[in-house]
Amino acid sequence: MTATKAMDVTVLRCTACGTLDSGPRDLCPKCFGALAPHTVDGAGTLVSWTMIRRPPAAFRAEGAYAVALVKLDAGCQITGRLSNPDDHATPGRRVIATGHKDTVTLFSVA
Amino acid sequence: MRDVVITGIGSTAFAKHDGRTIESLAVEAANAAIVRSGLERHEIGAVYFGNFVAGPLLGQEVLAGIVADELGLGPIPCTKVEGACASGGIAFRHAVLAVQTGQCDAALVIGAEKMTHASGAAVTSALNCAMDNRADGPSGLTFPGLFGLTWRVHAAKYGTTRDEVSAVVIKNKANGLLNPLAQMGATLTAEVIRQSAPIADPLQLYDCCPVSDGAAALVIVAADRAKGSADLPIRVRAAIQTRGPARLAGNENLVSYPATLRAAQLAYETAGITPKDVHLVELHDCFSMAEVVHSEDLGLVPRGMGAKWAAEGRTRVGGTIPINASGGLLSKGHPVGATGVGQLYEVVTQLRGKHANQVKNASIGMAQNVGGAGVAVTVSILERSDA
Repeated sequence: MTATKAMDVTVLRCTACGTLDSGPRDLCPKCFGALAPHTVDGAGTLVSWTMIRRPPAAFRAEGAYAVALVKLDAGCQITGRLSNPDDHATPGRRVIATGHKDTVTLFSVA
Repeated sequence: MRDVVITGIGSTAFAKHDGRTIESLAVEAANAAIVRSGLERHEIGAVYFGNFVAGPLLGQEVLAGIVADELGLGPIPCTKVEGACASGGIAFRHAVLAVQTGQCDAALVIGAEKMTHASGAAVTSALNCAMDNRADGPSGLTFPGLFGLTWRVHAAKYGTTRDEVSAVVIKNKANGLLNPLAQMGATLTAEVIRQSAPIADPLQLYDCCPVSDGAAALVIVAADRAKGSADLPIRVRAAIQTRGPARLAGNENLVSYPATLRAAQLAYETAGITPKDVHLVELHDCFSMAEVVHSEDLGLVPRGMGAKWAAEGRTRVGGTIPINASGGLLSKGHPVGATGVGQLYEVVTQLRGKHANQVKNASIGMAQNVGGAGVAVTVSILERSDA
């Protein structure tokens, strides 16, 4: 099964200079202007991922899960989860956002 | 600014110290350092105490003042310093600054941590205080995970293999067997490492440092006040601290940590040396892959070659650049707030020619200490005062 259309992802966009950041943060990291929520396409490139097999206490009930760093095509990096980690999930592969777990974006290898 | 030297040093073993308090470990190390320095207690003008997780794991703060009181020091400024796993290195830099600038003629640096009494989940949660928990915490990221992420990129970019990374582990575990202060020296094979439990793929159990208790201490004095020292004074040529991205998504490139690059550049400039002049380094190998990227960022190993040089034996004692002759965090142990001070203890011992795993003719040594996801880094350069 291959999902083809990415879900939107909400990031932050500077109201003054347009810089995007996955946040949370209070000031634009470039010009220190105000940031506002901004929706971008959830397609991007996998920077890397890892399978967390010894979670901290708050996540222990979940068992193992994969954390990923993704570079969104919109132009900022975001830390999320990878839903289908396997040998094909190599750095540089295309990924799309497919859902959310609380505030964390879930990605799948496209 | 004045020339500054390290005189007295002290350290407990890094180990599982059942039944000992963090105060008792700190007092043991610090008292030994004071005695070796030849100073009277009233001559010490400041204390900087590196500690990270005594709050969450022990419910105890203000350790600098508590320990100074027990050591019989004067009514002096006693400051606890926190910068995650770089707390000890940062405490050292503050002590150096205090003496360099003439705030006092002698300062005491202590690093201490007590961790092994707590459960694994409690330790992981306490160490996760070193993350930016608004950004990375909700994803469930851990510090082993950070270096699992780094590993995958390093492997894709440079072709680094499991067995090449294992060479780092095998070296540091073997070095630890020679160090009486080390917690977990061992003779390992690539096969044993390959069979060990997965922790944060591709990172496995033997790629991770143990949980440790321990303390280390150094006396820092103005060079012209070092006459009473029982041991050869060691000059501080550079004590640099920098900041890097606090969160994973702030890293442009997971196989290089900007705070280390910057700190190394400033340290070489300050000392007036190049990487080729460094005879040994104690660097922050909390995980095997951390040694790989830090050795490259420090300019001691060519980019992409960190694991390959280990596999070729170029980073062992007697090699091109001996890395972690003490056993490093992987083998000596990682009592987090004590680690940076313990690294400097090891470098001083090497430069005095008195290390159990001695690098021959070492006169210039380096230490690198990293906090969080690279948010705080210290790089220090030391030299024999008779060099």
